[in-house]
Amino acid sequence: MKNPLHPLRPGSRREFLARAGGGFGALALAQLAAADLASGRNPVDPGSVAGKRLAPPRPHHRPRARSVIFLFMEGGPSHLDTFDPKPDLQRLAGQPIPESFGEVITAMGEFKSPILPSRRTWRQHGQSGLWISDWLPHVARCADELAVIRSCWADGINHSTGVCQMNTGSTLAGRPSLGSWVTYGLGTENANLPAFVVLQDSPAQVINGPRNWGSGFMPAVHQGVRMQGGSEPIPHLNTPEGLTPDQQREKLGFLDRLNRRFAARHPEQTELEARIASYELAFRMQVEAPDALDLSRENEATRRLYGLDDADTATFGRMCLQARRLVERGVRFIQLYSGAGSRWDAHENLEKNHGTLFRQTDKPIAGLLRDLRARGLLDETLVVWGGEFGRTPMSEKGTGRDHNPTGFTMWMAGGGVQGGQTIGSTDEVGLRAVEDRLHVHDLHATILWLMGLDNMDLVYTHGGRPERPTLNEGAAFKKIVGLS
Amino acid sequence: MLRGGDSGRPAVAPRNPAESPVLERVRSRHESERMPRDGEPLTGDEIGLLSEWIEQGAGWSGSDRGPSKRARGPITDPDRSWWAFQPLSPVEVPSVPNSDWARNEVDRFILSKLIAQGLTPSPEANRVVLIRRLCFDLWGLPPEPAEIEAFVKDPRPDAYERLVDRLLDSPRHGERWARHWLDLVRYADSDGYKADDFRPTAWRYRDYVVDALNADKPYDRFVREQLAGDELYPDDPEALAATGYLRCGIYEYNNRDVAGQWTTILNDITDTTGDVFLGLGLQCARCHDHKFDPLLRKDYYRLQAVFAGIQLHDDLPLADASNRSVWEQRGQAWEEQTAALRGEIDSLLTPYRSKASESAISKFPPPIQAILRQPESRRSPLERQLGALAYRQLSYEHERLVPQLKPADKERHGSLQRALAEFNELKPAPLPVTLTVRDVGADAPDTFVPGNLQEPVAPGVPSVLDPSPLAPLRRDSAPATTGRRAALAVWLTGPDHPLTSRVMVNRVWQHHFGRGLVPTASDFGRLGEFPSHPELLDWLARRFMAEGWSLKSLHRLLVNSATYRQASSLDTIGPGRNRRPGRPETVEADWRRAEGIDPGNQWCWRGRTRRLDAEQIRDALLHATGELRTHRVQGAADASQFHRSIHSKVLRNARDPLLDVFDVPQQFASAAARDVTTTPIQSLLLINSPFMLERARALASRLEAAAPGRTRDAVGLAYLLTLGRHPSTVEVDDAVEFIRKQLHRVDPELAHSATAGFRSERMPFRDGRAAVFTPRSSQETLSAPITGRLHPGPVTLEAFVYLRSLPEDGSPRVIAHLGDASGSGWAIGVTGRKSRHRVQSLMVEMTRTPNPPAPAVVEEVCSDLVLHTDKPYYVGITVAVSPGVPTTVTFRLKDLSNDEDPLQTVEVRVDEGSMTFRDPMLTLGGRRSGEALWDGLIDDTRLTGATPAVDRLLWVHEGALDEGVGFWRFEAKPSPFVDGSGRGHGLRPARRVSLPPSDARLLALADFCQALLNSNGFLFVE
Repeated sequence: MKNPLHPLRPGSRREFLARAGGGFGALALAQLAAADLASGRNPVDPGSVAGKRLAPPRPHHRPRARSVIFLFMEGGPSHLDTFDPKPDLQRLAGQPIPESFGEVITAMGEFKSPILPSRRTWRQHGQSGLWISDWLPHVARCADELAVIRSCWADGINHSTGVCQMNTGSTLAGRPSLGSWVTYGLGTENANLPAFVVLQDSPAQVINGPRNWGSGFMPAVHQGVRMQGGSEPIPHLNTPEGLTPDQQREKLGFLDRLNRRFAARHPEQTELEARIASYELAFRMQVEAPDALDLSRENEATRRLYGLDDADTATFGRMCLQARRLVERGVRFIQLYSGAGSRWDAHENLEKNHGTLFRQTDKPIAGLLRDLRARGLLDETLVVWGGEFGRTPMSEKGTGRDHNPTGFTMWMAGGGVQGGQTIGSTDEVGLRAVEDRLHVHDLHATILWLMGLDNMDLVYTHGGRPERPTLNEGAAFKKIVGLS
Repeated sequence: MLRGGDSGRPAVAPRNPAESPVLERVRSRHESERMPRDGEPLTGDEIGLLSEWIEQGAGWSGSDRGPSKRARGPITDPDRSWWAFQPLSPVEVPSVPNSDWARNEVDRFILSKLIAQGLTPSPEANRVVLIRRLCFDLWGLPPEPAEIEAFVKDPRPDAYERLVDRLLDSPRHGERWARHWLDLVRYADSDGYKADDFRPTAWRYRDYVVDALNADKPYDRFVREQLAGDELYPDDPEALAATGYLRCGIYEYNNRDVAGQWTTILNDITDTTGDVFLGLGLQCARCHDHKFDPLLRKDYYRLQAVFAGIQLHDDLPLADASNRSVWEQRGQAWEEQTAALRGEIDSLLTPYRSKASESAISKFPPPIQAILRQPESRRSPLERQLGALAYRQLSYEHERLVPQLKPADKERHGSLQRALAEFNELKPAPLPVTLTVRDVGADAPDTFVPGNLQEPVAPGVPSVLDPSPLAPLRRDSAPATTGRRAALAVWLTGPDHPLTSRVMVNRVWQHHFGRGLVPTASDFGRLGEFPSHPELLDWLARRFMAEGWSLKSLHRLLVNSATYRQASSLDTIGPGRNRRPGRPETVEADWRRAEGIDPGNQWCWRGRTRRLDAEQIRDALLHATGELRTHRVQGAADASQFHRSIHSKVLRNARDPLLDVFDVPQQFASAAARDVTTTPIQSLLLINSPFMLERARALASRLEAAAPGRTRDAVGLAYLLTLGRHPSTVEVDDAVEFIRKQLHRVDPELAHSATAGFRSERMPFRDGRAAVFTPRSSQETLSAPITGRLHPGPVTLEAFVYLRSLPEDGSPRVIAHLGDASGSGWAIGVTGRKSRHRVQSLMVEMTRTPNPPAPAVVEEVCSDLVLHTDKPYYVGITVAVSPGVPTTVTFRLKDLSNDEDPLQTVEVRVDEGSMTFRDPMLTLGGRRSGEALWDGLIDDTRLTGATPAVDRLLWVHEGALDEGVGFWRFEAKPSPFVDGSGRGHGLRPARRVSLPPSDARLLALADFCQALLNSNGFLFVE
């Protein structure tokens, strides 16, 4: 049941916005309507808090990407069986890793276990000739869109620290997620939807839970909002069961009268008006959020493109298609979790684990890339693929691989990235990144830079410290756009 | 302009409008002084803008807007001259005119600044506002209607001061102010990493803080106990509990990088100590000299060296020597009589334990393996610390041995445990413990600045305050300890310390007035802000020490001031003695002018309207409905038990949804102030969540009980309970009219449809809705009669469950019961405290009635697989019954919070034949009889007439099965009780639900209540 519009006194909202625009900058209201203030899609500040912000939300330089879709393969997909072929693995199969590679700490103590060869068949794809394994036949056909970064590295050896760092830059909890930094830096383009949306493929919980998309020390207006398909994509969005539409509308009307009487007493307190407006915003979300995720009006060809006609690919396909719809509606940062609850964590039986998960995700991801390209959205939408780390060349339990944060692969596409290139490399067995090493901070800096933000200029003052999204480290890898 | 012109004084003092002559000049009434020299004087708005610009740092576009960077190098005299490092200045209380407004010294300081700014103080608020303000501030709770009445009518001249005394004397006061301290020390009841394990004893530190504040423990002692209670007061159990401060950080149970985790722990303690006690942001100096403050990188490690000797302890008894020895004596008989039994158990487990240890050790990097393989006596202090940290991962495995025993061993283990339990009466109750700290010995490992492993850093404090090394302070009576923390604690609380008292009085000011005298309460450095009232700050800090560091005396002084009592709106000006300038029109004109000069109210010219914080909102909600339990609890209560928020569990990765939307801090790092955000997500929760609908109904029932059928009275009472005041006639009329019309809009039938009273919540680590079962709530068990054949063959019941508590009376908790009218049946659940088996483990209670009316035969078949509270699990039980063959029960358990934890499987044989049911009934949430009720959540539940294959078990395959008999998911669509297996076994509340509102009137009243509970009048304090 959709909630009917509840009454607000005519003019009150405009008056409120006029006042908001008239200079009291301490308004901490999420996603305050931009479109109402001016025509077009002006970004608005979704939550400035007096004294904390050094600059209004706007890009530092010309943005290439307007939105990001981050495809998070939670649990850590193997780079050695997908984008980073290592013939030496076959040669060293069954032997311990040669001492020359040096010691690393692994989560399950598998450092001395024998090398596990890759069972994949590899081929070069596209005009660019990118190496991609037979686990990704569909994405392989988009090879010329991808910039494959083989030299990623991170600090966390466990899922908790790894996922935390890939989201927030730090292995320790408490910092804002990258999506929060983006909304803080750029504001929102659609007042009726959250600027930072998270979707996941199963009811299991992503490691660490919602704090992965939390705003850390920033106000909660910057946090990601988990959306689900169906009629209630956001918790408590709908009128509860057992209430009539009239009943709910009048209840809200009565509340509005109470709040206006109180606000009249306290013209100095701007949060009071913000709270009144937040109920109206909540209503607009009731209309817009289900619509953004509703796929019923997508045509058959599109549905097939994303694999909605196949039970294996339907779930992740729906999420990818929903991501495109969210991008169309101006959502800044969308994160899709595949394998929520560390299902990519193939400590044993890598073949079955990854085989299943790639079967579920390969076609939908390729569908997303093609659809964005076809609609002219790929140039301004950055698609990022990866997990919190990769996997070791050493085997675990004979058939699996342990966690490997010291060298792994991610790829980016669209958003100004030059496709069909390979960036960096790992050593001969794929244990460590060696060439053009890109730490998580560098990856984050690159994503921000593509969005028009400089990681060192994006500052939020907290506890007396100027905080930056990459902890004062990291640099954008600008060659990703093809400049040299 | 910033350097100073002919007068020698800079015209603008960035961030300090009060010290900026330019403002005096533009405001001046004398034409000869006033700027600009030509043209009209600036308007109030323009002056306000100018003042705000100065307050924000007086930046020029194009110039660096922040404070200037410090030149690198050693500490210089200018560094040392920073205001916060200066000794407290001996300040005279200013003498001011208009002293009939001022009530105490605080007011004279405030007034003198107000006058300097051309501002006028505001009159006192009325008593209705004042008591609500005081109660929320000092107790975190709203006043009772009777208390409001009594205070308003109290004719004594010191009625206000008496009220303040009463509030400060109550235990509620410590419960409120502990919250502020716990935010600073990032307290929580869970580990904060992936598994987010519950810390069952952490609450004793929480209670230590509450008790210390209630007892008005001198702040210097409070500081010393938390930093070094074990060293300074070795025989004081309270002081040992206080070291829980050093244990509030996060902990990752499976981090093989032990040395890395140890560094993280020490960094966290260093950072937090800098923030909390020094009010200096030291974090920057971890990697480089602070770019703005004179805090060297070396200083960071000097402070860290103070903590380098600590060893974490979870089991030190909180008892003094004599209590310990009494306890030991009482336990001696048990020790002696059970020695043989315990020896047997030990030797039974030893091979398993060694194997588990070996496997756990092999997962560590070689240096840690080497430490663990070395006898304790040969380890260096650092090796002892790392070894102990690593050993926690071995203990973790040791606690999980029992289910892995071979069947014969398990049987023997069970019988030995039962034999041991026979002696329980001899065993004294364990002494209380909490997470504490002690030093590893008299020597601490060396501390180094990373990258320089040649020169160890001696313990010390920031060089700008004292460059010499900190001399250890050892008490003879203390155990072998470095004495480093004691030295820091004593240095911090010395009478000449420039920061400790300033930082603390500023924190107290901040919480009373909504803004600190230094607005950046944990940063008194250059990146923070200057004090608005430096003289007042110093005067308060000196007085604080002179009054024996008494926090209550400080509270009393601040809240008794006229400054605190000021009205925040024209409608709430009181009739008190401070009428001048109390005529609303005069005040209105003053305020309009003041808004122009000081829109942020930093000079305290009026009261401040503030939103309640998360815990105040939750407590006030439950207080209004009459559901709040204010008595103290031993432990950390589940939020569903409706204890005060301070007594509720704080799980870092499973935040309470209500507290979460109202900006409760993350509890990962020290938080000196809270955000106040307004979001649509918040409004949706307040208007649509089942929690809020229930509160509204509870309040409506309370009103109806107090004023049956009398709407006007009910409205009046509702206003008192929620807004703390009587409604105006207009408000009563509006409310009565709303309720009257709402009567025709509600639909009782719709409201009472089968599912409307159904309570659901999200289960941590899962999505969607799970059914909530609370033994004390109105939710009852759910049942479905099962038609068709279940037998012969195996029957499997699977569910996702979350247990919140075990009953004190020893009875089990039942998830599901399958049985027939004769009383025969299987109750699947966890064993109770009086069980012969392992307490709190997964079991089936099999009840047979072979020859009615002879008594039933009850057998508890137990898996020994323990379900911890506050953890989500998958449970699966297969009972394989076939005639003539012994029945086998297969138990399956999977911890959903930890994907690395394997699915555990245990098979138990039951020798006593089979059992079949006629017309069975499945009951969820307790036995069919309504006993042994579950406390917690039950999510997707599946009943199958088969043994599902391992890859079809519910936790990996959330779908219906071919042999499915029932599948219940509790989702809103199509209905929470529908059977998804297609067999039509829909659930129904077992007995008729007794929902509080039973007619249209109560529903209408509930809507009125919910609007009040959503309103800003409720959420804000004036």
